[in-house]
Amino acid sequence: MYAHNHTAKQAAMMDMDDPDDTVEEIQRQDFTKLELKPDHANRPLWVCADGRIFLETFSSLYKQAYDFLIAIAEPVCRPESMHEYNLTPHSLYAAVSVGLETETIITVLDRLSKTKLPKEIVDFIRGSTLNYGKVKLVLQKNRYFVESPFPEVLQKLLRDDVISRARMTPTEAPGAGSSSFSVSRAPHETGVADSELLGADDVAAGAEEKELHSFEIDPAQVEHVKQRCLPNALNFPMLEEYDFRNDTVNPDLPIELKPQAQPRPYQEKSLSKMFGNGRARSGIIVLPCGAGKSLVGVSAACRIRKSVLCLATNAVSVDQWAFQFKLWSTVGDHQISRFTSDSKERFRGSVGVVVTTYNMVAFGGKRSEESQKIIEEIQNREWGLLLMDEVHVVPAHMFRKVISITKSHCKLGLTATLVREDERISDLNFLIGPKLYEANWLDLVKGGFIANVQCAEVWCPMTKEFYREYLKKENSRKKQGLYVMNPNKFRACEFLIRFHEQQRGDKIIVFSDNLFALREYATKLKKPFIYGPTSHHERTRILYAFKHSPNVNTVFLSKVGDNSIDIPEANVIIQISSHAGSRRQEAQRLGRILRAKGKPKDRMAGGAEEFNAFFYSLVSTDTQEMYYSTKRQQFLIDQGYSFKVITSLPPADSGAELSYHSLDEQMGLLTKVLHAGEDIGIEQLDEDVDDITRGRFTRRHGNMSSISGADGRVYMEYNTGRGRGGKAKVRDPNKPRNSLFKKRFT
Amino acid sequence: MPRVRVVSRNFMEMVAALPAAKLDLLYDRHWTCQAVLRSLPPLGKQYVMRLLYVENAVPVKSLQEWAQPDALSKHQVAIDRLEQLRVILAERKKEVCYRMNPKFQKQLRQALSTGGGPPRDVVSGSIAARTPSLEDLDNYAMKQWESVLLQLVSCASDGPTGPQNSFITKVFQRAGLLSVPNEKESLSITDLGFQFLLMDTNSQLWQLVREYVTTAEDRGTDSGELIGFLLELGFHHVGEAYGVNSLPPALQKVLEELAALGLVQLQKGRSESWYIPTKLASNLSASLSDSSDWQSSEGFVVVETNFKVYAYTSSKLQTEILRCFARLEYQLPNLVVAALTKESVNTALASGISAEQIISFLRKHAHPHVSQRIPVVPETVSDQLRLWETDRNRVELAPAYFYDDFPTMDIYEAVVAHARDLGGLLYEDASARRLVVRADLHEDMRMFIRKQSSGTAAQRR
Repeated sequence: MYAHNHTAKQAAMMDMDDPDDTVEEIQRQDFTKLELKPDHANRPLWVCADGRIFLETFSSLYKQAYDFLIAIAEPVCRPESMHEYNLTPHSLYAAVSVGLETETIITVLDRLSKTKLPKEIVDFIRGSTLNYGKVKLVLQKNRYFVESPFPEVLQKLLRDDVISRARMTPTEAPGAGSSSFSVSRAPHETGVADSELLGADDVAAGAEEKELHSFEIDPAQVEHVKQRCLPNALNFPMLEEYDFRNDTVNPDLPIELKPQAQPRPYQEKSLSKMFGNGRARSGIIVLPCGAGKSLVGVSAACRIRKSVLCLATNAVSVDQWAFQFKLWSTVGDHQISRFTSDSKERFRGSVGVVVTTYNMVAFGGKRSEESQKIIEEIQNREWGLLLMDEVHVVPAHMFRKVISITKSHCKLGLTATLVREDERISDLNFLIGPKLYEANWLDLVKGGFIANVQCAEVWCPMTKEFYREYLKKENSRKKQGLYVMNPNKFRACEFLIRFHEQQRGDKIIVFSDNLFALREYATKLKKPFIYGPTSHHERTRILYAFKHSPNVNTVFLSKVGDNSIDIPEANVIIQISSHAGSRRQEAQRLGRILRAKGKPKDRMAGGAEEFNAFFYSLVSTDTQEMYYSTKRQQFLIDQGYSFKVITSLPPADSGAELSYHSLDEQMGLLTKVLHAGEDIGIEQLDEDVDDITRGRFTRRHGNMSSISGADGRVYMEYNTGRGRGGKAKVRDPNKPRNSLFKKRFT
Repeated sequence: MPRVRVVSRNFMEMVAALPAAKLDLLYDRHWTCQAVLRSLPPLGKQYVMRLLYVENAVPVKSLQEWAQPDALSKHQVAIDRLEQLRVILAERKKEVCYRMNPKFQKQLRQALSTGGGPPRDVVSGSIAARTPSLEDLDNYAMKQWESVLLQLVSCASDGPTGPQNSFITKVFQRAGLLSVPNEKESLSITDLGFQFLLMDTNSQLWQLVREYVTTAEDRGTDSGELIGFLLELGFHHVGEAYGVNSLPPALQKVLEELAALGLVQLQKGRSESWYIPTKLASNLSASLSDSSDWQSSEGFVVVETNFKVYAYTSSKLQTEILRCFARLEYQLPNLVVAALTKESVNTALASGISAEQIISFLRKHAHPHVSQRIPVVPETVSDQLRLWETDRNRVELAPAYFYDDFPTMDIYEAVVAHARDLGGLLYEDASARRLVVRADLHEDMRMFIRKQSSGTAAQRR
């Protein structure tokens, strides 16, 4: 029987039934010994010794506790009633970098905790914050200063050869007097934590004037000094702050926000974290797509009012950023220029906004003469703000390159999903800066700032014929083609398109990573589609029609549409094939429809429409897709979204009018899929030289987890609980088998 | 709580099934009479009150006239019930007449006219001062009850640990909640046992008490006496002390076991000892009547859309119950964090717990903060639990026979054709000369193959 090898594999893939006691024991954390405080009911959270924090959202102190936790910990999941957070070295680094001090963190955490703080966690906070945030690199009047309130730290740094050589020795105290630092007053910190929460004594302590000690270093040595301070060397990572108000060397860019640009409360909050002490901090702001990241970027530029270099991921989003700058700020046409492979606008004047792509800046090959000139200008200029869009998609090495060849005083990274499935997060932390702010998706939904999305997973059973082929060993490379082209999936997709176009008058995006499917679906349904090779001109034309024509309500996109193609009109997404288990892609795609639509009052909780956007993920049951699908949804589920499972689409009594109703048609499709060749429809190369994703889709040999984005997650298999509660039985190859199988296995 | 009613009614079935002499003996005490009255359907109660002061036998016809013609079925149910419990006795003269059981009548009249008084002697005041407060008593009862259930649960998790009360184990076994150990298997919890854990306290209590009575009979305790006492216990005042010495010796031993179940608390003085009924005991009789609506404890579970379960509990029992179907992740002093995973739910399903039972457990014990939410258990979670359950039922196993090693292609083809004619061919592979046929056709197939190949074809199951 041919099915032998496959069933085994299938079982490994889907059948996760074995209870593995040992694993469970390791995972479970017992903190029952922690001592409850007598008034624990009034306090909102628990802190575990391993850094996990649980927060009750129905506590009266929720808002204060939330603001505090978001500053010191990483959110793990934030559903309705209970949030989970993790204290990590990175999150604590971010906390101290926005001005929270070790003792404040411990005191407030203890005040909010229902239990006495575990000793481990106090030690952990002390240990992690010991070095972090103690040293700042400040650019003042174009002189670099290493600044710290702790002179002993500076002395420690100066014991390092590289740093002591980089030091610019003050003329009045030559040689040995290295202990004398210049002393100044610390800028006053605002908006870090709720004063009510901190209590009067803490605020008083915080308001006390602090002395800052600093020494100047050679601008040429800045990179080396920063290197020496990283965790792998001296472990005093430097925070970068830009005292832009006192920068008299770089010319001002006279732009401000237009009156109609009203930042929302959470946008204000993220900006206040960035400009908390009157200087501009470098760091990352995380906001869901559609929540107005560009306004945050433009607002930051308008506060700093120096030259801005804005980096985007592809040519389309370069246009969009330029548009956003003009939309929200008073920047004139002569002050803004775009630099892409298609449009090379020279800068005019000594100050302005330049929008370009990561690829253009980091490109290592030979450039045209014109580009070369522009890139030299970019390299030679001193930028007040380096604005980086979609920082989560940029590979670390590209960041290093971009940051090393551009000189900027302040770096602001923007992203929707800082999904932490690789070590890239730590690169970002030290290359750009800590995470300054991360918004809670559900709160934004409740506030009506982003759309309330109904997420659904549509289960499409494989037809008998397709599943037979799917299981065949010789078709192992065609599996994806088979489950994506499953006629039941096609029919579900067609049904949904019809329903939303005709019944609700919605605008629909259909995503397919698989190009074969993209083309087949779109052609069969007579809808336009965009993928890598589609020219910029063609894209613009299709998107324009989609936005404005009442006859074009559905557009098919390959993964070029994942990021940055801004289609605010769309409110329905149907996903027919996706990139294995990537949580980030799922979130990015959802983001395409998050921009709030309709009247604000309808959107608020209890408004006229409960849901105004729809996200469907179509999966063929009993295939790998099911497994990937669960993984992909994890990020959104952690944000509080829930996926409803729909099992019968189209409804049983309808569907005759849909395509592939007859077996003949289905068999025709099957033949087509089987003859399409191996690895059908995998998007191989992207022609857009500006696109960050260019050339990243070559076949890679790696383990499944790294391809699917599952690195760092442990996948376990389990056995069915035969013999209730008994230990898992592992199939011993030497054990006697049922006679039916004996012959097959020997 | 329909389940309680079913179980408690079952208890009355047991009473009804007692031999007539024993049953009559029970009616010597007015407490039993009152308890039986309580358990009757409303119409039955009404008839008892009507007949209470009627000395003569009443003809069936007159009784029938009490009921509207369209309510005759209800009337019949009530009469049958009364007769089963020997509250009324049939007499056959010219026509069938009913007379109220004189003992029952006498006792109930007395109870009505005198109010019954305290069932047993309340012990003297000096002792009363030493009785625990109601709150302590409640805690004691819940603790006892939990330890009973824990005994069941401990068999589920890691084999019998901790102190085992052998009589409770026997009751569990008798009820089919624990398996009877043999050479192959040690003591372990059964499918029924898992389901039992998810029931509410009252249903659990009734089921156990019922089984307890049956086991007591096996050990020689008179079931009539025991039932009488259990019914009477419901009329005791919670928190008051009653003397043990006034009880017959057989019941004195029973008291110790009831104490283990948490129904009473036992205390010993210098010369005498006394027992104090708990809330559980009063619930026992209260839930006999249909209107009972007793909630065991305040809800403590929050289920989130991401399949996380947050249980505000420090009880080992609740934790263990959660562990039956969820993966425990964190245990804090007053909070247990667990996750419903496909594996954990599948383990539960495999042990006979249904998705519906899990959902209803989560719903019934919802934390006050979420209990007003509709639905209490997020729809995605309950849907997913049901989907996991149906997933398990997708494959049906049907026995079949596998045939191969056919000596020639001709024979193989003839056999395949034959199987196809019979309509039982499930699989064929001509290149390897194999086929699979439904098991019920095996005899036929064997005959045919033997005929074809004169016994050269081998078959294996």
